[in-house]
Amino acid sequence: MKVAYIFATSRHTVSYVLGKMILPQLEENRHGVTVVGMFFFEDNNYVLMKGNPIGDRLHKVAKKTGMLLMGCDQCCYEREIADKLFDGVPIGCFPDLYKALSGNMPDQVITL
Amino acid sequence: MPRQTVTELFERGYRRNYAAPLSIRGTALTDAEGNRAEFSLDMTEGHVSAIGFRATTCATLIAYSELIAETVPGFSIGIAREFSAADLVDALEGVPELKRARAALAIAAFRAALDAAESRQSIETGGVPA
Repeated sequence: MKVAYIFATSRHTVSYVLGKMILPQLEENRHGVTVVGMFFFEDNNYVLMKGNPIGDRLHKVAKKTGMLLMGCDQCCYEREIADKLFDGVPIGCFPDLYKALSGNMPDQVITL
Repeated sequence: MPRQTVTELFERGYRRNYAAPLSIRGTALTDAEGNRAEFSLDMTEGHVSAIGFRATTCATLIAYSELIAETVPGFSIGIAREFSAADLVDALEGVPELKRARAALAIAAFRAALDAAESRQSIETGGVPA
């Protein structure tokens, strides 16, 4: 099964659920499903900034597997980080997300 | 000019985007990604006196369009036409490279409105529209 994750809430979503659950499982190839994309809202976008340690590991996984990483454009502009993300990580809105996923559509989209 | 951010321009541009079009409307243009922009103008004594636009609700495109709308009023058509996509990119920091092509769409659509204004002026003065 293929899934995409949308990180919409800003509590321990990135530091805990992504950083301590999903990401280690992806690195160990034991997550159980294929993750085709991740989209980040609001403060969750800071994980996509160059130098972020969780983001650095995530970016490596994405480059290895072809997984899409995308930041919400308005969220990134608001935080003035849109041009400070890891190389090749785009910003966009829903049309950009769906277009980017259209060649590898997930079976489920999971909002965290 | 004080430093402006994409977010500030987007917030003002978002409101302008839903305002009624002005008296002279340019052709709507669409880029390869499906983004669309259409500008409208009011002219006073040969100068651009107000600028409106309708654009796809892409934050970057609206910010670039709003920058045109806030910067160009007061210019003659000839001077306004010199405003370029590179000027927009230079004036607005923080836009990632992948999104800077939106500046070209905004400028092309704006120039289409200038074409319409020029045609109207030409007709009003008895000349042949270009």
